[in-house]
Amino acid sequence: MSAPFFKFGLFGDETSLVVAFVIGIAFGFFLERAGFGSARKLVSQFYLSDMAVFKVMFTAIVTAMLGVTYLGWIGFLDLSLVYLVPTYLAPQIVGGLVLGFGFVIGGYCPGTSVAASATGKLDGIAFVAGVFAGLFVFAEAYPLLKGFYESTPVGTVTMPQVFGLPYGLVVFAVVLMAIGGFYGASLVEKKFAAPAKE
Amino acid sequence: MKTMLSRLGLNQKLALAAFVLGVLAIAASPYRGTTATIDTKALALEVATEADHVEPLDLAAWVIAGRADYRLVDLRGEPEFGQYQIPTAEHFPLATLMEAGLGRNEKIILYSDGGVHSAQAWLLLRASGYKAAYVLEGGLDEWKEQVLFPILAEHPNDFQRARDERLKSVAAFFGGQPRTGSRGGPVAMPMPGALPAPSVVGPASPGGARPAARKKKEGC
Repeated sequence: MSAPFFKFGLFGDETSLVVAFVIGIAFGFFLERAGFGSARKLVSQFYLSDMAVFKVMFTAIVTAMLGVTYLGWIGFLDLSLVYLVPTYLAPQIVGGLVLGFGFVIGGYCPGTSVAASATGKLDGIAFVAGVFAGLFVFAEAYPLLKGFYESTPVGTVTMPQVFGLPYGLVVFAVVLMAIGGFYGASLVEKKFAAPAKE
Repeated sequence: MKTMLSRLGLNQKLALAAFVLGVLAIAASPYRGTTATIDTKALALEVATEADHVEPLDLAAWVIAGRADYRLVDLRGEPEFGQYQIPTAEHFPLATLMEAGLGRNEKIILYSDGGVHSAQAWLLLRASGYKAAYVLEGGLDEWKEQVLFPILAEHPNDFQRARDERLKSVAAFFGGQPRTGSRGGPVAMPMPGALPAPSVVGPASPGGARPAARKKKEGC
């Protein structure tokens, strides 16, 4: 047996939708369990009073990275078949900033807004409506944005390629960054802790 | 040691586990190197049952049908490839095959002049985890015999007539010319280089880049 399962034909297009559905439900469940169905929790990340978003996201990155590394090492996962999003430097920086502003203003990111809607939060539902309105505007404006959207292409690059370092060393460095980051986050939380409510 | 571990909270234990895995990962490379191990029995069985072969006429039918679910690899040298190639073929000399960017999930059909190089390439590919590698039975020699210049019966009966009609149309598609007489007989086979190239709406322009239509939509 080899992974990626879909690429090796273990299941077809139709079944892949079922798999995506199950993974999506699990993703939403764990977002909710981490408290990310609440805009208050999410936004407190930006006030540095609660670093849960940082910790959960970085934990997910490290877990997935170690999993991919070891599964590839034992020959179970063919990493060359894993899809990498191609890098377009300028548009992705601008896109990241737009998403970040939306996150601070709206209190959600696209994934968490869906999780919040699922539990019936009105602000979550409003946010999802906003996401679709934004999608519609973007799609209609795409001919105007196309030039910028496809500018500064770098191709599909990975960190080991950019830095010219061995793959394993980058993995170790990211683990160190995470552990240091978690420690730093706990200090930041103490410093910026929200004043206790009366 | 035990007391030290038990004094750590869950978070510290997880961080420690990640650290240990990170240290071990320094030696890791998730990409395959150039060494490989093979299951000799499984491969021997595939060879013995001829499950590793594609017949020339089957391949011809796939090319004519414009099927896009395979990659046809020409292992010969540059001059030979320039002179003639089976439509839809891509040119990767044997020495560069492993860096050719073939996917381990793709159906790969190999051919060379005879069968030796393609059989060797087949073993290399299978050993390094390419699951669906095949050899064109008899190579380009057999492609000429069966597809380009097939032998028609001199006094055909009804069954042979139907078969010969089919062979004629296949040979015509690839710009070949059917023969009559015995195999390897007096009819000289023209050099395939002199053949007009068939216009194939195939999965790939010969040796060129893969067309975009063939690629599955990926990403979000």
